[in-house]
Amino acid sequence: MVEFVFIAPMLTGIIAFFIPPTAGRLLLVLTGAIHLAMSLMLWVLRPEALFPVYFAVTPEGLLSLLVISLLFFLISIYTTAYLKTAEIRSENIFTGSMLLFLSTMTMVTLSDHIMVMWIAIEATTLASAPLIYTHRSAASLEATWKYVLICSVGIALALLGSVFITLSMDVGGVDVPVAFSSLTDVARQLDPLWLKTGFVFILVGYGTKMGLAPMHTWLPDAHSEAPSPASALLSGVLLNCAYLGIFKTNKVMHAAGLGDFSGTILMTFGLVSILAAATFILKQTEYKRLLAYSSIENMGIIAFGTGIGGLGAYGAVLCLIHHSLIKSSLFLCSGNILLGYGDRLIAGTGQLARRMPKTFVAFFSGFAGISGFPPFGIFIGELFIIMAAFRTGHYLAVGLFILSLCVIFAGFARHVMKISFDDVGTTIQIEEKSIMVWPQYALLTTSLVLCFWIPETLYQTIVQAVATMGGGF
Amino acid sequence: MIHPVDTLLALVLLSVLISFGSSRLPTLIKALAFQGVVVSIVPFFMGHNLTVGGVIFTLVTMVIRGIGIPLCIYLAIKKVAIKREVEPIIGYNASLLAGLLLIVAAAFVSPKFNLPQTSVHALLLPTAITLLVAGMFLLMARRNAIAMVLGYIMMENGIYVVGTSFSMRAHHIVEFGILLDVLAGVMIMAIILQNIKQTFDDVDTAHLRTLKE
Repeated sequence: MVEFVFIAPMLTGIIAFFIPPTAGRLLLVLTGAIHLAMSLMLWVLRPEALFPVYFAVTPEGLLSLLVISLLFFLISIYTTAYLKTAEIRSENIFTGSMLLFLSTMTMVTLSDHIMVMWIAIEATTLASAPLIYTHRSAASLEATWKYVLICSVGIALALLGSVFITLSMDVGGVDVPVAFSSLTDVARQLDPLWLKTGFVFILVGYGTKMGLAPMHTWLPDAHSEAPSPASALLSGVLLNCAYLGIFKTNKVMHAAGLGDFSGTILMTFGLVSILAAATFILKQTEYKRLLAYSSIENMGIIAFGTGIGGLGAYGAVLCLIHHSLIKSSLFLCSGNILLGYGDRLIAGTGQLARRMPKTFVAFFSGFAGISGFPPFGIFIGELFIIMAAFRTGHYLAVGLFILSLCVIFAGFARHVMKISFDDVGTTIQIEEKSIMVWPQYALLTTSLVLCFWIPETLYQTIVQAVATMGGGF
Repeated sequence: MIHPVDTLLALVLLSVLISFGSSRLPTLIKALAFQGVVVSIVPFFMGHNLTVGGVIFTLVTMVIRGIGIPLCIYLAIKKVAIKREVEPIIGYNASLLAGLLLIVAAAFVSPKFNLPQTSVHALLLPTAITLLVAGMFLLMARRNAIAMVLGYIMMENGIYVVGTSFSMRAHHIVEFGILLDVLAGVMIMAIILQNIKQTFDDVDTAHLRTLKE
């Protein structure tokens, strides 16, 4: 039952390579709907896996799975309209890769074995590479090359880290399955030196994929060159999958009593990422790259919060969920803008508010949400992280954190104002369609609702996920 | 008497030096293929009790690492008849010297890790470290895209040495999954290489510098 959730999209993905485009679009939405239904069933039933050594339903996995499922369903609806408007060569490769990408990401969320997790994360790189190369241009080729090479090398380091963790079991004389859940139980018997080494390698490895600075260089290129629905998936859920690997290892570290060590490193990487985003966001000239740097910022915030632990970890998980919802809707809007103006540069846009009013509403509220304005969820997440940082006495770090957030907000706001209101002589080539706007509205509304009302089952799952890190209130 | 594992590992170290000193891509690919074969038969001589599944898996590994992966790259360069030079950023003599220094340094730091296996097979850890760092070196010191892919494969070989020799925990099905991922990754890289060649008429990564801040 559990394994079927990722086997189903894998099968439909393979089918999609061989069927005509119109049928492929239908299959995309259909698989999205079935996947969403299956994820909801997993959430309610929480069944045992057929191969419990390799797969398990964990609270953090379920959270990511539900986000992936919801996002993919809404993005697939957008994609059908996008594919009709945009001219994409070999569309069956695009839809097939989208479905395989969904399958591999689902596998990441459900894997419990440390090596199976690695296999799944590397598979996400391979499945998403054709998506980035969709436009077949020289720039997209460069972006794909960078993406595949940097991520593969980075993830190879994570494999080495995983081997070190099995080594820490050998040296510590522990004999249990190499799964995160069983490792958490016996964490105190593991050899601390090799466990620490393993954590550092895993953080650098999966951190490359998550977009933590200074390993983030592939991210702006890949996000800007991929077609917008693919960028939305990359930013909204792929980064979460890589984070899941770090999160689970961090849980083992906390259980082993090494939470301070892993926390300090996570906070450092997080802060460096936020600072890097603050430096680069000011001088961006393309709006998709702008959004990509904002993703780096948010991943930095999440790593920072996880590093602090306690209330911070709870805030980080909130940020993770809301970032997925809001950032994917922003990337979908950027697709509308690109189709409408036919220009990637911020200078080539302008007066979005008048020319594409529906897209403008989604884009602008997405911007407000992502920069941490109430009433969107990122505000609450960031507030918790800042409170936790003050409680634990990280005054210098939190000072830098708040300062960078202000700089990023200022830079982001300047660009968004230009896009929305600047009076330039640009014209619209393709009018916006309502089917390409309401998935964004649905995503933003979900974020808004979750901000005021978190269902009890969702709250409990988040608290369970961060319990080992001393999370919750 | 020298243990057969150490003899094999000495051959691996030699292949690293050959790859550092060679200017032509076919030689580099052959060195990597040889390295792949030698690295994958190491488990036969380790003295672990091998099951039937273990023997089959080791043979499959040998075929994929020694033949499958190098063949992908070879076909990629053959199809597009690439100018067969590796375009070094660091020269061959300097690379060779760096390689020798690397091996010495690896042999020097290895005993400090205090791993039980290192007392039996003196070269095991130095080889693993050398392969990892040498792979990184090829990635950074060569501008040719194919040489960079070969650097990645060398790193993977190093991780394989660490994985199979120091901890025998992973199930074969999992090991196989890892191998499959690496193979698929190299295939995708080979496809990108062909496209790079068609688009730019060269595989020098200096062409791939338009996207930056």
